[in-house]
Amino acid sequence: MALDFSIILRFQEALALGLWMTIKLTLICVVLGCSLGFLVGLARTSRRSLLRAISGVYVEFFRGTPVLIQLFWIFFCLPLILGVELSNLASGVIALTLYMGAITSETFRASLKSIGPEQLDACVALGLPRRVQVTNVILPQAVLRAVPTLLSNCVSLFKESALVSAVGMADLMFVGQNISNNTARPVEVLTVVAIIYFVIAFPLTRAVTLVERRVLAKLAI
Amino acid sequence: MGYSFDFQSIAFGPLLDGLAVTLQLTATANLIGVVLGFPLALLIMSRFAPIRLPAMLFVEFFRCTPAIVQIVWFFYCVPMLFNVFLGSMTMGILALGLNLMAFNAEAYRAAIQAVPREQLDAGIALGLNPLQRTLYIVLPTAVRASIPVLLTNGIGIFQQSALVAIVAVQDLMYQAKTLATETYRPIETFTIVALVYFAVSFPISQIVGFLERRRQLMMS
Repeated sequence: MALDFSIILRFQEALALGLWMTIKLTLICVVLGCSLGFLVGLARTSRRSLLRAISGVYVEFFRGTPVLIQLFWIFFCLPLILGVELSNLASGVIALTLYMGAITSETFRASLKSIGPEQLDACVALGLPRRVQVTNVILPQAVLRAVPTLLSNCVSLFKESALVSAVGMADLMFVGQNISNNTARPVEVLTVVAIIYFVIAFPLTRAVTLVERRVLAKLAI
Repeated sequence: MGYSFDFQSIAFGPLLDGLAVTLQLTATANLIGVVLGFPLALLIMSRFAPIRLPAMLFVEFFRCTPAIVQIVWFFYCVPMLFNVFLGSMTMGILALGLNLMAFNAEAYRAAIQAVPREQLDAGIALGLNPLQRTLYIVLPTAVRASIPVLLTNGIGIFQQSALVAIVAVQDLMYQAKTLATETYRPIETFTIVALVYFAVSFPISQIVGFLERRRQLMMS
């Protein structure tokens, strides 16, 4: 069969809009998800067993079920339960933020664990209150150590964001599928969509290795 | 909220059929991924660029594009490009299997690189040829070291397998969608199905945690 990639040029604006939606969604959920993840990571290492139990159930549940079903659940069930209409974007943001929160909390938990107990002893010896311990001692170290894994979490989120196309959000994947259905040229359109995702995600995965080798080595932590 | 739950109207028959399809997809994809991931790892570690580069491109492509794009691509493009028409099940297995193969290859690569240099030297000293060294020294050590990651990837593909519902393979997710629309009971259906997925993957992730802890104990 004859491939004709010039067809993409006719739809570049639509694809650009889709890509913008994908990027916007990813960025919003990275910020919200990382913040949620840090808090949950703290809760999972908390001394209060109730806090530990709740956060544990949340994380295990979101890591133990497919993102697709989480998305469907939030799109179809949350409005019924809350009794309010949620916009597409809002549901997408909620679903992906909860997913991102769950995976980054594991990252933060691992990096929190890597902070030696002597640091906490030092905090106690210095008489620092809990809030200062968290913001000035634990947070900076935990975040720095978590950076490489967080970056790969972001790549995962970027990839998982393509799922929102299944619930009708006009992201890159959705636009691509629409174009390919309407033009009956799936090979060209879907290949280009895949390449766009690749072109964004691949440098990010390289950056992970770079950060691991250079930045962390320089900071000597 | 004025929603009354009704778990009675959920038909479990189709869900069980769906679970069987999902498990079959997962098992076959894992077989492909675990077996073929190892030779692929050897290819990406090859010294010859003409072998290494295509293998690396393959791995990176699967790791850096969304699984849903890969699956939709497979279902639409493979029949058109290669003029072959495979059953939807075969297609799903192929897409998931290749995806897992790429991820497992990375796991094997890390494990192979962790095989101590001395062991290979010992192999050379014993007069083993490269194939024997790979089969008898690298393979057993690397496979054992990568088991936790292989299991994690295996659960990952179990979860990703829900994506084939989008291309109408009648797996658990597909049955859930159908049932939710037929019965107008999305909350009950999706909750039950989510619990089913959870019930399968949670024990395995606990096993992974156990293996990792034991490994750390053995190392220390």
